[in-house]
Amino acid sequence: MRKINLIKKWVAVSLAAFMALTLAACGIGEPNDDIIITEDTEEKTVNLFSPMEKTDPDAENIARSAFDKTILLAEEKLGINVAYRTYTAEDYQDKTYDDVTLERARNNMDDLYLLNPDTVQKLGEEGKLLDLSDLACVKNLREVVKTANTVNGKLVAIPQEVVAYGLFVNKDMFDKYKLQLPETPEEFLECCRVFKENGIETPIGANRWWLETFVFAQAFADMYNGGDTEAEIAKLNSGESKYSDYMRPGFEFLQELIDKGYVDAKKAYVSEAIEGEGNDFLAQKTPIVMAYWGAANTETAYGKPDFNMQVIGFPSSHGQMPVVPITGFGIGTQAEHLQDAKDMLDMILSDEALQVYTETNKVISPSKNVEVDCIPALKPLNDRIEEDIYVLASNASLKLEQWGNTCLIVRELLNGATVDECMAQFDKLQEETLDK
Amino acid sequence: MKKNQNRSRKDRGIPLFVFIIIVFGMLGVIVFSVAGKLSAEMSASAIQNLSESLNLIQCTIEAILKNEADFQKLIAQRVAAADNPIEYICVYERNETMVKLSLILEGEEEGVSNDGSKFTEEDLDFSAGGKVDDLPVSQSYVNYMGTWAYTMKCPVVKDDEEIGTLYIEYVYDSLDKSLPNGFYNNKAMLYIMDARSERLVLKPKGMGERSAGHLNLEDFYHANDIRERELRAKVDKCLKKGDNILFYHDIRGKQSLNYMWSVNNGTIYLIGYVPVEAIQQEGRTVNQNILIVVSVMLIAFFLCCLLYYFNQRQQIRIRKEREKEREQHNKQLAEALQAAQLASNSKTMFLSNMSHDIRTPMNAVLGFTALLGMEADNPVKVREYTKKITASGQHLLNLINDVLDVSKIESGKVVLNFEKFTLNALVSSIDAIIRPMADGRKQRFHVEVTGIKHEYLMGDETRINQILINLLSNAVKYTQEGGNIWFRIIGLKQRSSQFEHIRIEVEDDGYGMTPEYLETIFDAFTRAENSTTNKVQGTGLGMAITKNIVELMGGTIDVASEVDKGSIFKVELELRIPEEQIDGKFWQENGINRILVVDREQEECENIRVLMEEAGVMVDTVSVLEDALNIVKEKGGDSYQLVLLDWQVQEAGSVSVVRKIREVIADMAPVLLLTPYAAEGIETALEIDHTEVLSKPFFVSALKEKILEMQGETMGETVPAEEACISLEGLHFLAAEDNEINAEILSEILEMEGASCEVVENGKLVLERFEQATEGEFDAILMDVQMPVMNGYDATKAIRALERSDATKIPIIAMTANAFAEDEKDALDAGMNVHMAKPIDVELLKKIINKYVQGKG
Repeated sequence: MRKINLIKKWVAVSLAAFMALTLAACGIGEPNDDIIITEDTEEKTVNLFSPMEKTDPDAENIARSAFDKTILLAEEKLGINVAYRTYTAEDYQDKTYDDVTLERARNNMDDLYLLNPDTVQKLGEEGKLLDLSDLACVKNLREVVKTANTVNGKLVAIPQEVVAYGLFVNKDMFDKYKLQLPETPEEFLECCRVFKENGIETPIGANRWWLETFVFAQAFADMYNGGDTEAEIAKLNSGESKYSDYMRPGFEFLQELIDKGYVDAKKAYVSEAIEGEGNDFLAQKTPIVMAYWGAANTETAYGKPDFNMQVIGFPSSHGQMPVVPITGFGIGTQAEHLQDAKDMLDMILSDEALQVYTETNKVISPSKNVEVDCIPALKPLNDRIEEDIYVLASNASLKLEQWGNTCLIVRELLNGATVDECMAQFDKLQEETLDK
Repeated sequence: MKKNQNRSRKDRGIPLFVFIIIVFGMLGVIVFSVAGKLSAEMSASAIQNLSESLNLIQCTIEAILKNEADFQKLIAQRVAAADNPIEYICVYERNETMVKLSLILEGEEEGVSNDGSKFTEEDLDFSAGGKVDDLPVSQSYVNYMGTWAYTMKCPVVKDDEEIGTLYIEYVYDSLDKSLPNGFYNNKAMLYIMDARSERLVLKPKGMGERSAGHLNLEDFYHANDIRERELRAKVDKCLKKGDNILFYHDIRGKQSLNYMWSVNNGTIYLIGYVPVEAIQQEGRTVNQNILIVVSVMLIAFFLCCLLYYFNQRQQIRIRKEREKEREQHNKQLAEALQAAQLASNSKTMFLSNMSHDIRTPMNAVLGFTALLGMEADNPVKVREYTKKITASGQHLLNLINDVLDVSKIESGKVVLNFEKFTLNALVSSIDAIIRPMADGRKQRFHVEVTGIKHEYLMGDETRINQILINLLSNAVKYTQEGGNIWFRIIGLKQRSSQFEHIRIEVEDDGYGMTPEYLETIFDAFTRAENSTTNKVQGTGLGMAITKNIVELMGGTIDVASEVDKGSIFKVELELRIPEEQIDGKFWQENGINRILVVDREQEECENIRVLMEEAGVMVDTVSVLEDALNIVKEKGGDSYQLVLLDWQVQEAGSVSVVRKIREVIADMAPVLLLTPYAAEGIETALEIDHTEVLSKPFFVSALKEKILEMQGETMGETVPAEEACISLEGLHFLAAEDNEINAEILSEILEMEGASCEVVENGKLVLERFEQATEGEFDAILMDVQMPVMNGYDATKAIRALERSDATKIPIIAMTANAFAEDEKDALDAGMNVHMAKPIDVELLKKIINKYVQGKG
C-alpha cells in the first residue's frame, strides 16, 4: 500500500515538474530582433606544413592521434588554430616532400614546418630557420637532440620524438633456420645466405628511402661509440677526412646485398616506405625489413604481426647499432605568424604535451623528463639506446648534409651506379659544401 | 465461477490491448510518415542549398579566373606597348596571385621570367585544352614555391601582329582567400582538383578534417572507400564531359552526399562530400523535436495508464477484500446459524435425553414408591424397594449436579480452590472409587505413577478428582467386561522450577470412538450413541465439564481413539509446588537414613530412589532376592532401617522371601510389601512381625503414614472405631428450613436417630429463637441458605454477632441445595462451621454432627 502511494506521489511530482518545464519552455521565445548582426571574430592561425592533414583525434592512425592530441592541447591552451598544409608525392617522379618543404620554406609560405634531417640542415645553413634556443621547452631536451639540430650555433629544429631506425626481423623465421640474430655485417650476410638457400627469394624488404641506414651504421659506428667524435667531425668539416672513406664499407655492403640478390634493387628504387615491402614482411615472405621505432607501435605499419617480431640494431663492427636521425619542427625566420608559431611550438614540445605524445606512441621522448615503457619487440633496440650505443644519421654540425644526400646516392646505387661512382659523388659533394 | 470471471476479464483485456496497439501503430505510422516527408523535403531543400553553395564557389573561382585572364590581357597590351617588352617583364615583382611573369618573343624557343631566369614552355602542359576567357590554361603543377600553380598564356599583339606570348603563373593558394571559410558548419569537405591530372591542388581552409592526406581522385576514392565500379565509371564520364554530379555514399560510416562540381568548363573540379546529417540538420532537429514531443506524450500516456492500472488494481483489491470480508461474514453468520441450530438441536436432544434420563429414575422412584405402598408390610420388599428408590434418587442427583456444573462453568462462575494436596491421597481416593467399579465389571485397573519429583502440590484437588473420576468412570463405562483400564500419572520435564508438569493418561481397550464423535466429544450435550453404549447411562456433560475444568486450570486435554480398540485421554497440567515439601526431619527422627528396595521393575526402583533421596534417605535397589540378601549380608543387618519388597519379586508367593529378608535384617526394621492390590497369600506374610503392605504406586507420604501407623500399633494405640458407633441420641437442634417437606424429612431423620429438632421458616426466626434460647439449649443449628425474609448467611452473621458466650461457639451447619465449592466458601465466610449439600445424607450428617458437637454424641 505504501509503495503504491509512493509511486503515486512520484508520478504526481513528475507530471507537475513536466508541466512546469513545458510552460517554462513555452515562455522562452526568440528575441524579437529583426536585425541580426554578426561580428567577425579574429582568429589566430598558425600555418603548419607537414606530410599529413589535420584529423580528429579519434582517427585510426595512432601516430596521427598522438601528434594531433598535442596540437589540440596547444590549440585549447593558446586559443590558436593550427591550419595544416600538406604535400604528398604521387610517385617517385614527383617532387619529394623534402623538395617541396625546401621550396615553401625558402618562399616563406608557412609558419611551422615538420622537417626531415636533410632539410633541417639545408634550411639551417640558409638561415631560413629561426633560432629556437630561447623557447622554454629547450631546457628539458636531451643533449643528443640539441647536438644533432644545432647549425651554426643555432638550435633550428626540435622533434616530438627521437626517431630510431632498426631492423625489424621475423624471429620465428630466424628460429626456424636456427639462425642467431646478426651482430656484424658478416653474420648478417650469412643469415641472408641461409634464407636465400631455403627458398626465400628476397631476404631483405627495402624501399627507396631507408637503405641508407645500413650505410650510417657501418660508417659512424666507431665515430660515435668510442672515437673522438668532435675531432673526427672537425676533420670532415675541414676536408681533412673524406666522407667517402666512411661511407665506402656500407656501400660495398649494400652492393653485395644487391649482387647476391638479398635486396631487389629495382623494386626498392621505386618503392615507398612500408608500402613497398610491408606486405611481404607481414605475410612472412621476407624475414627482414628496416623501419623507424614508431612503426612497431602503429597498427597500420608493423604494430600487429602474426609472428614474433623483434627490432634490433643494424649490423656493425660494434654489434647491433640503432640509427638515429633527428627530425624536428622548425619555424621560418620570416613566418607570417612568428610569435604565435613560437608559442605553439613551445606548447607542443612542453613536457605535458610530450608526455601525451610519448604515452600514445610509446616512443623515446626528446625531453629528459618524459619516459615510458616500450613494447617487448622494441626492447633489443631500446637496450642499445639506453646503453648510449647508436649512430646519428643526421648531424647538423657536419657541414655536409648526410641524411638526404646519402639517401639520393644510395638510390643511384640501386639504379646501377658503382660504389666508386657513389664515392665520387660524396667527394664532389664534400668539395662543393666546403667551398661554400 | 472465479475462473470464468478471470477469463472474462482477460477477454476484456485483450481487445483493449489490441486497440491500444492499433492506436499506437497508427500514431507511429503517422509520425513516421510526417517525419519522413519532412525529412525528404528538407533533404531536397538541402540538396538545392548545397548546389547553390557550390554554384557560388564555382562562380567565385570562375570570376577570379576571369579577372586573372582580363588582367593578363591588360598586361599583354602593356607589354606590347612597351619599348622593350623584356625589360618591362623584368621590372615586375611577384604578388600573392601572380607569382611569375614570363615572355617568349615570337619565333624564339626561350624567353625570360620576371626574376631574370630563362623560361621555356617545355615544363608546361597546355594539351588539355582548358581555357579561361579564350586564354589557354596549363595543367596544374607544383611550382618553385612548393605550391600548386597553373599558368595562362596570352598572345602579345602589337599592331595586329603577334610579337610574343605572355605567360603568367598563378597559385591556387590565392583562391583560398576568396572562398568561404567552411560550409555546413565545417562538416563539408572540399578539394579543388585539376581535372586533367586528377590531382588535388587545394584544400581551402576550414573544409573538414580527415584521416590521411589526399593526393588525387584515386586517393580520394580509396580513402573514402568508394569502390563501386559502376558509380566510378559514371563519375569519370561526368568528369570528362565537365558535368556536375552528386551521389550518396557512406563516408567513414556516415551517409554522405558526394559531389563533383565543374568549374571553368570542367578544367577544374570542386570535389568533396557533406554528411547527410549535416545537410539535414534542421530536418533532423525537427524530427528530433517531433520525437521528443511524441515520446513525452507516450510517457504521459503510459504514466496515465500506469496510474489507471494501479487505481484499477487497488479498486479490484478493495473489492476483493470487501468480497472476502462479506464472504467471511456470511460464513461466520452461516456458522453461527449452524452453531445455533446445532445448539438448539443439541439442547432439544439434551432435553429429550434429560427427559428420558430424568423420567427413567423418576419412573423407578414413583414405581417403587407405589410398590412400597402396596408391600408396606413386607420388610424384605420394603428394603429392596427403598434401596432401588435411593439408587434412582442418587442418579437423579448426579444428573442435576452435572447440569448445574455445566451451567456454572459456562457462565464463568466456577472458582478454583487451590490448596495443598498429595498425589498419594489423590491416587488413593481415585483408586478407592474406580477399582470397585472396575472390579464390578471384571476389568483390570492399572495405576502407574512415574517420574514425579514432588508429591505435595497446590491445586483444586476436588476438581482434579472430578476430572479423573469423569475420565475413569467413562473408561469403565465404555469398556467391555474383562477389559483393561490404565491410569497413569507421569512427571514431565519441568518448564519452571516452581511448577510440576504432569501428564495424566487414562487409557482403555474398550469400545473406542468414531472420528466424527471425537470432533464433538468435548461439546456439551453430546453422548456417544450406538447399540453398545445406549445401555450406558450418562448426562453427556461429563467431557464438556472435564475439558472446561482442565482449561480453567491452564492445562490441555487430548484424546485419541479407535473404534473397537480403545481410547486414550491425555491431560497435561502444571501444578505449583508448595514451598514446604517433605518433612526431612521425619526420617532423621525415626532413624531412617538408608532403605533397601527389592523390585523387578527398574523403573519403579528409580522412581522410589528419586523420591526418597529428595527426602534425604539413601536408597539401594536390587531386582532379585539373592542380590538383596547379599547386599544386606555385606553391609550388615543394621545398615537398612526399612525394606520395600515387591510382592511379586518372586513368583508363587513371596512369604519365604519375606522370611529370608527378615532373617538378615534388623528385627525392628519394617518390611513393607509393595503390591497394587490385595494379593493372594499376603495374609500369611503379614503374620510375620514388622511386615506390612504398602499399596502401589509408591508415595513417600504413603510410606510415612504407614510407618506412623506401624509405630502406633507398636505403642499399643488403636484406631478409634468411630463411625461404627456414631449416634445422635439426645441431641437438640435448631433448624431453619422454609420447605415443609424438607423440614419434615429432617425432623424425621433426626427423630429416627434419637435427636430432636425445632424447625423455623426463615433466618430471622432462627435468630430470634436462638436469642431467646438458653445457653446450651441447642447443640447445633442446621441452616438452610435460601430462605425468605432473611437468608442463611445473614442469619449466621447475625448469630455470630450476638453478645452471648455461645454465639461464636455453637456449630452452625449449612444444609443447602447450593452444592458448589463457592457456595461452601460463602458459607464458611459467613461464619458457618461446615457446609453440607442437600439432599441429606444421613451418614454424612451424623459424621459432621459428631465432629462438631463433641462430648454429647
